Amino acid sequence: MLRIPFRVVFEQRGETARRLSLLVPLASVLAALFFGALFLLATGYSPIDTYINMFRDGFASFNGITDTLALSTVLICTGISAAFAFQMNLYNIGGEGQLYLGLIGGAWAGIALGDHLPTLLMVPVVLLCGAFAGAAWIFVPAFVRSRLGTSEIVSTLLLTYIGASLIKHVIYTPGSFFRNPNTSFPQGRLVADSASLDSFGSSRLYPTFFVALVIAGALYWVVKRTEFGYRINVIADSPKAAYYAGIHANRTTMWVMLISGALSGLAGAMLIVGPYGKIEPSIITLGYGYAGIVVAALARNNLGLIIVSGILFSGLKVGGNNLQVTTDTPIHIGVMLQGAILLFALGGEAFRRYHIHVVRVHDVSTKKVAA
Amino acid sequence: MSNTSHEVAQGPHHNSGAASTALSAHSIDKKFPGVLANDSVDFDVRAGEVHTLLGENGAGKSTLAAVLCGLYQPDAGYLMRNGKRISLSSPRAGLQHGIAMVHQHFRLVERFTVSENVILGSRDLPFRLNRRELNEKVAAVAESYGLPIDPDATVGDLSVGQRQRVEIVKALYQGAEILLLDEPTAVLVPSEVEKLFENVHAMTAAGKSIVFISHKLGEVVEISDRVTVLRNGRVTGHVPGRGTADTKELARLMVGRDIELNAQRATHATGHEVLQIRNLSLSVNDVSVLTDISFNVHAGEMVGIAGVAGNGQRELADTIAGLISPTSGSVTISGSMTTDRGPVQAREVGLAYVPEDRLGMGLVPSMSILDNLLLTRDRQVVVDRISVRPEAARLIEQFEIKANGPDHLARKLSGGNAQKGLLARELSGGRGATKLLVVCSPTRGLDVGAIETVRRLLNDARSSGQAILLISEDLDEVLSLSDRVLVLYRGAVVHETAGETAQLSQVGAAMAGLSGGGR
Repeated sequence: MLRIPFRVVFEQRGETARRLSLLVPLASVLAALFFGALFLLATGYSPIDTYINMFRDGFASFNGITDTLALSTVLICTGISAAFAFQMNLYNIGGEGQLYLGLIGGAWAGIALGDHLPTLLMVPVVLLCGAFAGAAWIFVPAFVRSRLGTSEIVSTLLLTYIGASLIKHVIYTPGSFFRNPNTSFPQGRLVADSASLDSFGSSRLYPTFFVALVIAGALYWVVKRTEFGYRINVIADSPKAAYYAGIHANRTTMWVMLISGALSGLAGAMLIVGPYGKIEPSIITLGYGYAGIVVAALARNNLGLIIVSGILFSGLKVGGNNLQVTTDTPIHIGVMLQGAILLFALGGEAFRRYHIHVVRVHDVSTKKVAA
Repeated sequence: MSNTSHEVAQGPHHNSGAASTALSAHSIDKKFPGVLANDSVDFDVRAGEVHTLLGENGAGKSTLAAVLCGLYQPDAGYLMRNGKRISLSSPRAGLQHGIAMVHQHFRLVERFTVSENVILGSRDLPFRLNRRELNEKVAAVAESYGLPIDPDATVGDLSVGQRQRVEIVKALYQGAEILLLDEPTAVLVPSEVEKLFENVHAMTAAGKSIVFISHKLGEVVEISDRVTVLRNGRVTGHVPGRGTADTKELARLMVGRDIELNAQRATHATGHEVLQIRNLSLSVNDVSVLTDISFNVHAGEMVGIAGVAGNGQRELADTIAGLISPTSGSVTISGSMTTDRGPVQAREVGLAYVPEDRLGMGLVPSMSILDNLLLTRDRQVVVDRISVRPEAARLIEQFEIKANGPDHLARKLSGGNAQKGLLARELSGGRGATKLLVVCSPTRGLDVGAIETVRRLLNDARSSGQAILLISEDLDEVLSLSDRVLVLYRGAVVHETAGETAQLSQVGAAMAGLSGGGR
């Protein structure tokens, strides 16, 4: 029998050095760029030029950076939606569906309330309606999870498909309340003017970006400083300790999931008051809700880092997607690079958490016994 | 852990002085990141003797045992087997040299039968097993060392003591000449310990060598032919065993200073009834867990609950702490009915509770000491950590908790310091001044130094007039600390006695469900 004389040993690090927390992500990105360069070279594109273009289109031009921040507005919201639930080991995978409902809820308020309210009041109402619709969409999964322990992964995910059908239904059904009555094309009905915000100057960036920042900051504060956040931390770490201290895990689970759903719904409503102004059926192809899961993973569910990871991820998307427009690089190269960078960034976690070394087989001591 | 040893039928054992050295370790070094777990350790065991490795948690006993059986390779030093130098690359290699380890946490497949577990890992098995023949062989090995066991029983149905027996039979079946027993008594009740010691004598009589790993002084003195004491990875003494060893001396070698384990039972008048339990019964899924329990605990009194694990102790503690609602009966803490009122209510009238599972139930591992202090206290909507910080710092100092300050994470505390932290929080009150302290297995898994401190803290609390309910599987502990002892068996109190006059044999019999006297 052939014996390989070396073996790779993963040894868990006792404590992650602060230096590594910075070094590993940086090295991951460099490794991803190197990996992408191999493909670019193989397909006949200059890696350096491509990367410069991507960076310029994502961050270093007026249109680039404003588009990036515009996209991050939505992704920060879906990102904190995911991270807020994940940190309590509640896997709300259905942010996507809650976002659809936010779109519907926001559009309903924007159309039904007409021009009766001033913009300053109307926009918050639209946002709240979207958030409420998102929370309503997760209510049943939250309820059965907190009372019966039913897997929220499955229930929230499946509801996303129903949400997508609902979007199609309200747009494609003739005579639908949400459908534009003035054209035979299946289009969404525009919300009242008072429910629409103007973007900054010639950009596509809307003031909702700052709402997203404030909400991210507020939730961070809630988790770090309040009694509610304290409960979340206790339950997340040890449900038995919560039980011991008389903390009701059911109630907290319910609230955390509802808030998570509301945040995804809010992201949908932000699209209503911002760029869309109506229900845009193509939303079901964009995957903003799912992207929130990636944003949360990049930030390691740390609410304080969601803003950073949301903006970086958006820049990567915007820069990669623009490659085809500004150069002759096909969009697939951009998508491949996005994937590579994410894969390496998340895979780099292994190096941060484990000490990895290659040893000769006869030295291997894989089992650890308490000294 | 008192000097009063368990009464054991002394089995025959060889005159170890004449026997040859079976296995020896020479100048063993073993490093782990940040620790030198073994620092030029010498050790040897002769055929037919029991040689004990004694030391506190973290002294390097388990590391040395792992080196001896081939689980670890030493960084320096070497092993000799029957005078020949050997190098063990794996536990399997160790087994080929007749060295086997019986781990503290058993490595058995619960769904398999005893026989199936015994042959687990054997090579060169026939494609089709002849079960009858196998069972006979396993039974024969077991019988010859006085380890009766049914080869066809499913391991999942066996008691802890029986499972340990399966592990030993497995080692013997595989041809072990040298058995390393890692803290074998930690999981056993007195009668099972007795049985184990008989087995050990039977094995040594047959010429096997036993390396016995322990930190319990009483049993070490009783079972060992020789004792090697380890501290901080170094050998601090080679001492002769049975009969001649002195527990005080051993404790000093182990800890590095004189210690007093048998905390003096304070004799003083006890006050009013703090805890009253009346006809308490609890059924879970129609299975009766607690049956008609009634007793009182007075101010300044410590009542001990003895019993084998799983006889309702945890449920009793949880019910008193307000975590479980009893099926019938009542719990009254300092005059207030707390039945069905929940843990917060119980704490408001003076309950403090140190659960058995200290890290994970009593403390939140990923939280700081400061945040853990807040766990059982009133918290405002916005948690006020600033005003609690000085108190946390004061408690760390007062309870001598080794920590870098209030922000030290609970999971980074050693077992003893975690327990001290938990006691600090519970004794300092929170929602109300502490009047009743319920403690479960307060010293389990702790090293000798920490045990001493924890017992002193409990005694101090009693002296200051708090009522204490001590629930522990460590019978010596219950007997040496408590003013009164109750024995819990199958959810009922079957025996009650005063602490001073308690007879170990009587209490032990009651724990095993053999007698119901005294009540």
